[in-house]
Amino acid sequence: MKAWRIILAIAGISLGLFGVFRLVTEIPAHNLLVLALWMLAALAIHDGVLSPAVVTVSSALRRHVPDRGRRYLQIALIMGALITVIAIPMIFLRGSQPAAKALLLRNYGANLSLLIGIIAVITLSLYAVRVARDRPPPSAHGTQTAATKE
Amino acid sequence: MLRQRPRWWPRFSSTLRSTAVTARIGTALGVAISILFVTGLLSHYQYEPWTWLPQPAKPVWGYRLTQGIHVATGIATIPLLLVKLWSVYPNLFRFPPIRSIQHALERISLAILVSTALVQVITGFLNVLNWYPFPWYFVTVHRFLAYVLVGSLLLHIGVKLPDIAYGLKAKVTDADVLTEIPWNENPSSHSNAGTLAAPRTPGISRRGLLAAAGAGIGIVVVTSVGQTVTPLEPLGLLAPRQWTKGPQSVPVNRTADQARVFQAATSAEWTLQVQGPRPYELALADLEARAVHEARLPINCVEGWSVGASWRGLSLLELVRQAGGTADSRVLVQSFEENWGFNHSFIEGPQLEAALLATHLNGQGLDLDHGYPLRLIAPNRAGVLNTKWLSRIEVLS
Repeated sequence: MKAWRIILAIAGISLGLFGVFRLVTEIPAHNLLVLALWMLAALAIHDGVLSPAVVTVSSALRRHVPDRGRRYLQIALIMGALITVIAIPMIFLRGSQPAAKALLLRNYGANLSLLIGIIAVITLSLYAVRVARDRPPPSAHGTQTAATKE
Repeated sequence: MLRQRPRWWPRFSSTLRSTAVTARIGTALGVAISILFVTGLLSHYQYEPWTWLPQPAKPVWGYRLTQGIHVATGIATIPLLLVKLWSVYPNLFRFPPIRSIQHALERISLAILVSTALVQVITGFLNVLNWYPFPWYFVTVHRFLAYVLVGSLLLHIGVKLPDIAYGLKAKVTDADVLTEIPWNENPSSHSNAGTLAAPRTPGISRRGLLAAAGAGIGIVVVTSVGQTVTPLEPLGLLAPRQWTKGPQSVPVNRTADQARVFQAATSAEWTLQVQGPRPYELALADLEARAVHEARLPINCVEGWSVGASWRGLSLLELVRQAGGTADSRVLVQSFEENWGFNHSFIEGPQLEAALLATHLNGQGLDLDHGYPLRLIAPNRAGVLNTKWLSRIEVLS
């Protein structure tokens, strides 16, 4: 494993330096500066805004939503969030292009809502099935005892 | 220097994160980035081929496939990367932040890896959407930043190889809990504490997390790939292009309006200059009689969208031969559009033999936006290199 680690490290550093060298020699200094700002901004926004927001939502869910329902809510939120990330720039840029390009013509806001709606219906149905299954069959003496057990 | 982590230092208690989870997501991401790198290099070769190895003409859908995969994979990589970064977010808060020079260098290389990966996929997606909120030329930066990204990824894999080996070997359900304390330095970590019950993951399970992320990414792919896999167009809720809405059912990337060619293209005085050992010119009236060659060829854009189409036109090789060239000639194809870098292209080898100068598309005369009165179309050729609004052909050798 050690030999592999050294090979990977040397290959990686060489390729990376080659890329940096080409960038520095072929991109004007001003543009390189803006590129560096983009990279810093990407790190800052991801690590400083997006990730803390996800952590905050997760711990809020852990505190306020019971375990059984939470997993379905988490599934829906994970799927919905990953789709939303892709949809947002298209919602924002919709209609920005000449018609002949056939680019960004769709109603991405409505389409995103539709997808999230489908995800919500599916996860809610799965949750409903789970709740129904967890409920013990009514005993001969009535259903009250089953309800209080939960 | 502080020995103890301060009270306010972030602590992570979720048992969902695990080296086993990260290793699996990371493997998927590694595969995705490898695909992006290889297909990206193939695309670069479309634009700058070596003269001794011209682009093949077969399969005719070659570039359609590789660039379609490049863009579909790139779009899927955005959510995949976010999930990967979520899984290792506690590592950002290891204490102390810098333990040694080696540790500092590793953290710097990680910052480069993460920031290039984010910028690369975001600007790539913005290019697909034709939005350029940055001053640099996209192609050059995308190309060279790819080397930085893949280089820092290889280094990262080298550094993390023991963790990757552990993570892939361990079962997802009972592997370590990844927190801000590294598992291999924490004696009470699950993986170091001998046989223990698997950590409890109330709520969603680790498998459930992987499945939900996979399903989300799958939805993104299925609802966007219709811009390349044409039968899936009706499912393309999140597809940037909609080929059915283009003129003659084929989108364009540069309109006649953008190219400012309306006057020159609609002039009755239009001619095609054919230059070579025996130069001549063709007038509008000459085109119809010679436009007898038909081909079914896709138009496939660097931005990932593509659609098959029926073309009718003149054989470029016939025109070249008439001007004194041969099938081995290198040919310049020039547009009358001015002031644009892609207003010409070079064609040679197998693509020259198969190329048409098209006058008709899908059974109708070429639309102005598609390059009326005459455009180049060749198999396995990046869309923008199929030069439109032609004014001149030059046999160079």
